[in-house]
Amino acid sequence: MAEEKILYDYYLIYEKTDNAKYISHLDFVRTYNRTMRRAGLPVAFSEGFNPHPQLSFALPLSVGYTSECELLELKLTEELPEAEIRDRLNAVIPDGIKILEAHKGRSRMKKLRYARYIVTPEIMPGSVDGFLNMNEIIIDKKTKSGIKDTDIRPDIREIALSDGKMEMILCAGSDRNLKPDVVVRAMNRYISGYDSGDCEYHRAAVYDDEMKIIN
Amino acid sequence: MSTVNIDKILKRVQKPTRYSGGELNSVMKDPEGADIRYAFVFPDTYEVGMSHLGMKILYHVLNLRPDTYCERVFAPWVDMEEEMRKENIPLFSIETRTPVREFDFVGVTLQYEMCYTNVLNMLDLAGIPLLSKDRGEDAPFVNAGGPCAYNPEPLAEIFDFFTMGEGEEVIGELMDAYKEWKAEGGRRIDYLKKIAKIEGIYVPCLYDVEYNGDGTLKSMTPNCPEAKPRVRKRIVENLDEIVYPDKFIVPFMDIVHDRVSLEVFRGCIRGCRFCQAGMIYRPIREKSPDRLVKDAECLLSSTGYEEMSLSSLSTSDYTRFEELADRLLTLTEKEKVSLSLPSLRVDNFGLSLMERVQKVRKSGLTFAPEAGSQRMRDVINKNVTEEDLMRSVGLAFDGGWLTVKLYFMIGLPYETDGDIAGIARLAEKVAERYYASEKTNKRRAPSVNLSVAGFVPKPFTPFQWAGQNDMETLRRKQQLLKGEIKNRHVKYSYHQSDVSVLEGIFARGDRKLNAVLVRAFELGCKLDGWSECFDMEKWRRAFADCGVDMDFYTRERSYDELFPWDFVDIGVTKDFMMRENERAKAAVTTPHCRLKCSGCGAASLCAGGKCSVYTEESSLKKIRELKENG
Ligand code: SF4
Ligand code: SF4
Repeated sequence: MAEEKILYDYYLIYEKTDNAKYISHLDFVRTYNRTMRRAGLPVAFSEGFNPHPQLSFALPLSVGYTSECELLELKLTEELPEAEIRDRLNAVIPDGIKILEAHKGRSRMKKLRYARYIVTPEIMPGSVDGFLNMNEIIIDKKTKSGIKDTDIRPDIREIALSDGKMEMILCAGSDRNLKPDVVVRAMNRYISGYDSGDCEYHRAAVYDDEMKIIN
Repeated sequence: MSTVNIDKILKRVQKPTRYSGGELNSVMKDPEGADIRYAFVFPDTYEVGMSHLGMKILYHVLNLRPDTYCERVFAPWVDMEEEMRKENIPLFSIETRTPVREFDFVGVTLQYEMCYTNVLNMLDLAGIPLLSKDRGEDAPFVNAGGPCAYNPEPLAEIFDFFTMGEGEEVIGELMDAYKEWKAEGGRRIDYLKKIAKIEGIYVPCLYDVEYNGDGTLKSMTPNCPEAKPRVRKRIVENLDEIVYPDKFIVPFMDIVHDRVSLEVFRGCIRGCRFCQAGMIYRPIREKSPDRLVKDAECLLSSTGYEEMSLSSLSTSDYTRFEELADRLLTLTEKEKVSLSLPSLRVDNFGLSLMERVQKVRKSGLTFAPEAGSQRMRDVINKNVTEEDLMRSVGLAFDGGWLTVKLYFMIGLPYETDGDIAGIARLAEKVAERYYASEKTNKRRAPSVNLSVAGFVPKPFTPFQWAGQNDMETLRRKQQLLKGEIKNRHVKYSYHQSDVSVLEGIFARGDRKLNAVLVRAFELGCKLDGWSECFDMEKWRRAFADCGVDMDFYTRERSYDELFPWDFVDIGVTKDFMMRENERAKAAVTTPHCRLKCSGCGAASLCAGGKCSVYTEESSLKKIRELKENG
C-alpha cells in the first residue's frame, strides 16, 4: 500500500496584467504548473500515468481580461512560509503574472457568487438607467447547452458609470455566471445610438453572497 | 526605429499568444544598445516554428553576442494577416514589435518546400521587395539556411545570400563582417562580395547560369573573383563544445513539440537511399552522455517542462544509448517528467527500456519500415527485416501497447505493384501478431495505423536521378493499397499526392522556378503546408502563366546531367550517390558507417580527413556483437 502523505493546503491571490491577458485559462494552467516546477516547490502530484500537480482555480478568466483578484488553491508536501512561496513563484513567473499573496489553508472560493469588473469602453454611454430598467435583457449567450437567447437582467447586480469607466457587479461562479463583454454587447444592442467600440475588461474583486470580499 | 501597436487587433484574432510575446525566457534587450538587429524568421505559424530546435540554437547563439539582438518572427495565421493588412500593420518581431523591414538581417530557415510562398507573403507583409535585385541600400539582408537551402536555386532571386550547413558555425563570421562593412561605409553589394569569400556562403547574384536547349542546366559560373565555384557546407566538428541553449522559450499556447528536446547527435550512420537528411548532415557527430545529462538538468530547471524528448535522426543508433537512457530516466523519474524516445528503430530497442519509459507514460509506438517487401527495403537500403519488425512489434504488444504506427512510402524507384501489396501484407501480419500472442489482452483490439506518403526524390540522395510518380500514378497506387487491406484493425491514411508532387518540383528545381513562386504568391498561394489553405489549381495556373512545365522537374534524369545544386559541396560526393543508385537497382544493401566506411566523401569535412564514427575497433566490436547474437 502506498504510504499516506501529509499534504499542506495553500492558496494564492494573483494578478494578470499586460500581455498576460492573452493567455487562455487552459494555457494559464499549463504555464502555472511549469512555474511551480521551476520554483522547485514541493508540489503534490496526482496519481496515475500522467501525474499532474493538484490545483484548483476559482473562476476562469476570459482571454483578453486583466485581473487583480485571481484565486488558486494548491497542495504541497512540505510546510513552507507563505512569503517564501510567493517570492519563489514570482522569481520565475512570466511577466504580467504576479502572486500578490500566499496563504495557508483553504480559500473561500467555493462561496464565490459575484465579481466586480471595470470596463473601459472607447465611448461611454450617457446613462444606463433605461437599460437596467428593462424587464428583461435578452441576448445570445454561451450556456452549458450551447448558445442560447438568455435573459441576463437577473445576473446584473449593479452597473455604475464613473470617470470614463463602467463598474459592473455581476453574478459569477459555476451556477450563474455573466461576463461583462456579454453585458456590453447587450448595451450596444439595447441602448439606442450607442456603440462602445473596443473595451478593456478588468476583474477587480470577487464576493460571496453577502457581498463580502473573498481574499 | 519604431514599433507597431497590435493591442487592438489581438482582441479580434484566434490564439493571440501566437503574437503577443512575453513568454518566459524570451530575450529582452534594449534595441538601442544593439549594433546589429537580426530578425529570425520561421516561415510558418508560431506553433510550428517554436517547435524547431535550430531556431532555438541560433536565437541563443546570436543573443549571446552583446552587439546583436535577435528576435523571432512567424507567419501570421489567416485571420491575423487580414487584420494586419486592414490596419496597415507591417510584419513585426515578437519581442519588441519592431517592423521587420527595420532590421539589419532577415534570416529565414527553410525546413520544407511547402513554406516557400510563406516567405514571399511575409516579405510582402513586411514591406520588403520580393526580389533581391529590387532591394535598396537600406533594406535588410534577406538570407536563408536550413535543409532546403542546399538547393537554393528555386529561391535564388529572392534571397540575398544563403548559408550552407550548420548556422551556428558561420553566423558569428557574418555578424563580424557586417560590423566591418558598416565601419568601412560600403555599399550593399560590397557586403555580399565580402561574405561570398566565407566558406559556406552562397550569394546568387554573383553567379550566372546558362541553360541547354532542352531546359537543363548548361553552366553556372561565378561572375566575380569573390564568389567560389563550389560552396562547401560548414559543420561543427565537436558537438560537446557547441553552445546549446541553457533555456528554451516556454510558450503559453500549446505548440507542436512543447517540451525539452535534447540534440543527441547530428548526422546518421544509416544511409537510406531516399533520405536527404541522412546525406546532408553527414558525418555523424555525437554528444557525450555527460554533456547531455547536464543539458537536460539545466533545461528542465529553467523551463519547468514536464516532458523531454531526444531529437536526432535515428536516436537509438547513439553509441551509448542504454547508458544515456538509463541516466536520463533516473533524472526524469525523480523530477516526474515524462521522457519520450521517438523514432526508435525497429531493429534495436530493448524491452526493459520500454518498460521503464512506459512506467512514466504510455503512448503509441512508431516504426518506419518504409517499404512493404524485403526486396524494396533492400532497394532503399532500409536495413530492417520482417523478423526485426515482428519481434519489436511483438514486444510492444506483449508489453501492453495497443497502437502501433507504421510509416511507408509509395512511388519509390524500381517499385512494382507487388511491393505495394506487400505493405498491406506486412501491416496485416503486424495486426495478427497481436492475436497470436498469449500475453496480450484479447478483450482489447490492436490498432495498426498505416501512414503512407508519396516518395519525393530529393537532391543529394542516391535517388536524385529518379523520376517522380505523377498524381494519377500515385492515386492509382493509393487505391491499390487501400483495396489490398482486408484486416479491420489496419487503418490507412495517406498524404495528399499533389502536395508531394509540388514538393518534388521545388526540391529539384532551378532558377526558373523563382518566377513561378512569385506568380503563385500573386495568385494567393500561402500556408501551403496546411491542407485548409492549399490550392493546387492556383499552382497549376502559376506554372501555366509562367510557361513552366511541371513534368520537366519530375522527370527521370541521366548521370551526365548537371544539376542546379551540384555547385554545393556537402562532403558526400556525386560519385558515391551514383554508386548507391546502381546498388539500389540491383537491390544490394550498403552497410552503415559503423560497420564499414563506404567512402562517401563526408570524411573530408573532418580534421585529418577522417570520420570519427568509423574506427577499426568499432567495426570489429560490432561484428563481434552480430556474431554473438547469431
Ligand atoms: S535512418 Fe535512414 S531514414 Fe532515418 S535519418 Fe537515417 S538515413 Fe534517414
Ligand atoms: S566517410 Fe565513411 S564513415 Fe564517414 S560518413 Fe562517409 S561512409 Fe560514413
